[in-house]
Amino acid sequence: MKSRSSNRRNFLKLGIAAGATALIASGGNLISAIASTENKETGEKIKLLTPEGKLVEVDKGHMCCQPASNLEAREGLPDKKMVMVVDLAKCRNARKCLEGCQKMHFLPPHMEWIKFYLMRDSEEMSPYWFPKPCLHCNNPPCVKVCPVGATFKRTDGIVLIDNDRCIGCKFCMAACPYSSRVFNWEEPKMDKSRKPGTYSPETSTPPKLGTVSKCDFCPDMVRKGELPSCVTSCPNGVYYYGDKNEDAVTNGTETVRFSELLETRAAYRFMEELGTEPSVYYLPAVDRAFEYQVGFEGLSEEEIALYKNEARITE
Amino acid sequence: MNEEEKSLQNLLAYKPHLETISKKGIALIVFLLLVILFGVVCLYTQVTEGHVVTGMRDNVVWGLYIVNFIFFIGISYAGALISGILHLLRVPWRTPIIRMAEMITVISTMIGPSYILLCIGRLDRLPNLLLFGRIQSPIIWDVIAITTYLSGSIIFLYLAMIRDMALLRDNPVKTAKWRNPVYRFLAVRYKDTTKQKELLNVSTDLLSIVIIPLAILVHSVLAWIFGMTLRPGWHSTIFAPYFVVAAVYSGTGVLIMVMWIFRKVYHLEAQITKIHFNYLGIIMIVLGALYGYFTFSEYLTSWYGSIKWDMEVLFRLFSPNQYFLEFVFAVFIGVLGPIIIVTVPRFRNINTIAFAAVIAVIALWVKRYLIIIPTLESPLLPIHDLRPEYVHYSATWVEWGLTFAGIAMFILLFYLFSKFVPIIPVVRSGEEKDYSRLRKVVFEKQMKKVINENKKSGTIVTGIMILLILASSHYAMAQDDAKIQTVLKLEYFHADSVQKLSATLRAKVEGRYRPLANMEINFNFSQNSKETSMGNALTNEKGNVTILIPDDIISTGGDKGIYSFDASFSGKDNYDKATANTTMKPLRLEMSFFQKDQEKMVSLKAFENGKDNEWVPVENLEVQLYVPRTFSLLKVGQASITNGIASLAFPTSIPGNQMGYLTIVAKVEENSLYGNVEASGTINWGKPLPPLKIIKRGLGDTNAPLWMVYTLIVLLSLVWFHYMYVIFTVFRIRHLGKS
Repeated sequence: MKSRSSNRRNFLKLGIAAGATALIASGGNLISAIASTENKETGEKIKLLTPEGKLVEVDKGHMCCQPASNLEAREGLPDKKMVMVVDLAKCRNARKCLEGCQKMHFLPPHMEWIKFYLMRDSEEMSPYWFPKPCLHCNNPPCVKVCPVGATFKRTDGIVLIDNDRCIGCKFCMAACPYSSRVFNWEEPKMDKSRKPGTYSPETSTPPKLGTVSKCDFCPDMVRKGELPSCVTSCPNGVYYYGDKNEDAVTNGTETVRFSELLETRAAYRFMEELGTEPSVYYLPAVDRAFEYQVGFEGLSEEEIALYKNEARITE
Repeated sequence: MNEEEKSLQNLLAYKPHLETISKKGIALIVFLLLVILFGVVCLYTQVTEGHVVTGMRDNVVWGLYIVNFIFFIGISYAGALISGILHLLRVPWRTPIIRMAEMITVISTMIGPSYILLCIGRLDRLPNLLLFGRIQSPIIWDVIAITTYLSGSIIFLYLAMIRDMALLRDNPVKTAKWRNPVYRFLAVRYKDTTKQKELLNVSTDLLSIVIIPLAILVHSVLAWIFGMTLRPGWHSTIFAPYFVVAAVYSGTGVLIMVMWIFRKVYHLEAQITKIHFNYLGIIMIVLGALYGYFTFSEYLTSWYGSIKWDMEVLFRLFSPNQYFLEFVFAVFIGVLGPIIIVTVPRFRNINTIAFAAVIAVIALWVKRYLIIIPTLESPLLPIHDLRPEYVHYSATWVEWGLTFAGIAMFILLFYLFSKFVPIIPVVRSGEEKDYSRLRKVVFEKQMKKVINENKKSGTIVTGIMILLILASSHYAMAQDDAKIQTVLKLEYFHADSVQKLSATLRAKVEGRYRPLANMEINFNFSQNSKETSMGNALTNEKGNVTILIPDDIISTGGDKGIYSFDASFSGKDNYDKATANTTMKPLRLEMSFFQKDQEKMVSLKAFENGKDNEWVPVENLEVQLYVPRTFSLLKVGQASITNGIASLAFPTSIPGNQMGYLTIVAKVEENSLYGNVEASGTINWGKPLPPLKIIKRGLGDTNAPLWMVYTLIVLLSLVWFHYMYVIFTVFRIRHLGKS
């Protein structure tokens, strides 16, 4: 029987592997989780592909899932470039993505990492719903201005916040043109029935008083080869998430070539003119699955009025 | 009367202020301490309860604090520019006001930055600024610039005090004698020898040259905190010079106010004359006109260009129910008021000029408010948090309390300082001979004793805002008493010589099927209508449970080569029972790769059990081809197997790993006869991943671009070299005094 340490050493020898296949249904570049040494062996093996094209079996326990330490979380997942494609034609403002997100990240009800807008550029045009997570810009204005490097851009394209380092100056919030960031103005009111794990910038939980937080693109889930909660909780498959380097994105039910999707559906990035180079792509609301009015369901009079005013809808 | 006698006379005139403190003075100190104490209470509340006690929220992330920060750093300009420039130009009338100007600089540069600390959510993590400081961040620029500026201002103030200290050393104060050793120490054995005089003059000149560009830089850096963001109303190239001009404008205003107050309180009418007010008033309105010009240029450009977001900010400023009144006050009255008062001779006297200064200072405070708040209230995307405090900023008692505490601290420090050091330099250096000619009132007698009580008193009104936070209500869904319908799905999988059964249990809740976790599923194998239990297992959080099919079941051969399985859920709690079954015929799926005419081909073969238990080619079968990706399988093709064989081209441009390797999976899916069967293989047919380009130095990286590092090093070493030189000179003066 191999000792745990030698197992780990062998494992490290594999180096950075990509294109792995797992025993269970989907597989992926799970190898990045090796940084955490605390993981227990589970006995369950999964297959990984080495750069030389050899398949090797490793224990699933090595893959997940002690949360990455604050320093480990600064390294991106190797060889990945996470992207999201949002299909506006399918969004009806159901807000299930937000519910899933808030549950997963132990967020108080008003803390919204995904925001919903009713877009209408001019009065001749028709309104459409526009969900907006953090856009994880490749040229992030928020990261530039951080005085202590508490928010950072990783090689895999994800912009994270280290809530143990953040001093709460809110400069990033002022700098973000997309209002993606929120602040813990008071001691976060958490759902006490569930217990969040130990803090990691990758899980962003538990939230911390006096610091900034935002959508984190769920790198902890990516490490496990699982989709973020917003993607899986969307009833209409609006969100496609994936690795640009693999040229594939999925909304949980269908997997498509990222490049093809952008090409055939004439994707665009929000406010490209700002030069922020977002990692989130939008598919125009062509041939909509829903009337925009459906999105008013369950909203208060006040909210509806606000949306209508914003989209200049007069009835 | 020679210089020396005149100096002595000046000192004797001021000495009562150093030696005694009036009852009113004590009352003032007590009052100011009370205001500061209230500020401490506010700070305590803010630290313990979080920034929720302020009016700041996710959109207006900075409020009064940053307004006060800009305001105090702005007025600190008085010392730097007024005293620096007036000194360098050898303006003869500068002497009586120069120390006040420098003190404004030092005190406000100490108070200003504490306001930026109040904006910080985690004061306990301030050391991070030193541990992890990134020089790409304008906040770090500010930290560096302000500390450098403060150090320079203190040295500058001190240099100008050495002569007075020497005089105080030689004429010790009679009460509060503990001060005399301090004066002696600070006087650094200055005896006004030719050499000492020369050294002191050279250092003062040098420092006033350094301090002027430094002051401009400090305020530019402050403007860049806002200018560097992509926000309407902030992201403007005019911002740095605009801030500089506005700062000197308000700084001059505060200087005039301070002059007026000390003139009244300390009866310095003979020293601070109408000429000072007139000249400073003129400087002030010139700056005011410049400030007006910049403001006009700024708003005209935004309005003419009429970009959507700029217009939103302008709309707020021009809306009567939003900021129009403040806008009119800050821009029109704040510029035209002082100009009219100072330029029309009939209006111009000491009191009106001081009043004009008050207008300018308050207008500039309001202007800073208008720079910060309307822009933050106009994010590029609309605000959707309906809680009123998220939409519209209004400062709370905590913020007002700390604002007044800062002002109180400013007054207190100023007052205490004036009790320690003459507020007006008593020693006149030789080059200021002309000064006496300019004076209309000749200083003849000692100061009159303070007899008349000043009847004016001011009250500070604190506005208290109480914000009600609306609690949101949650709607609980009523549970249905009837049994909840459940659905069980059973599938057979065959991959990598492992055969398994996978059951998924879902329940219909609120019209949607959701996975049921922790439910027991029974698996059975039936042969010749005889059921054999294969055991039971619990579903996972995805409602799924997978079991391996043991070899002994495979070896039974099934019913003429067809295997039947079923799964059942016997119901639990409110969930209804469910069953599912599936049949399977063993299938052998083989995949191989070959290249034909530069084309990459995948060859698929499929066999099933024939009559005599031998493998025979399958006649017709649909096979899907996939490549595994992080979360799921990406479909890359499909083929129809006829007579056991099919081949298809593998698409180019599917990314593999660094060496182009990828895994290809062929799958027969949910086939009614064969179930799910897959075969996989790896080959280097993928597009190799390009190596990661790592930019090591950039605005968003840990390390700053080199030009930034070099600029900072050059600038800082230039400034600090001069500081060091001046400090070294002070030591030389001390050394020269020994002999």
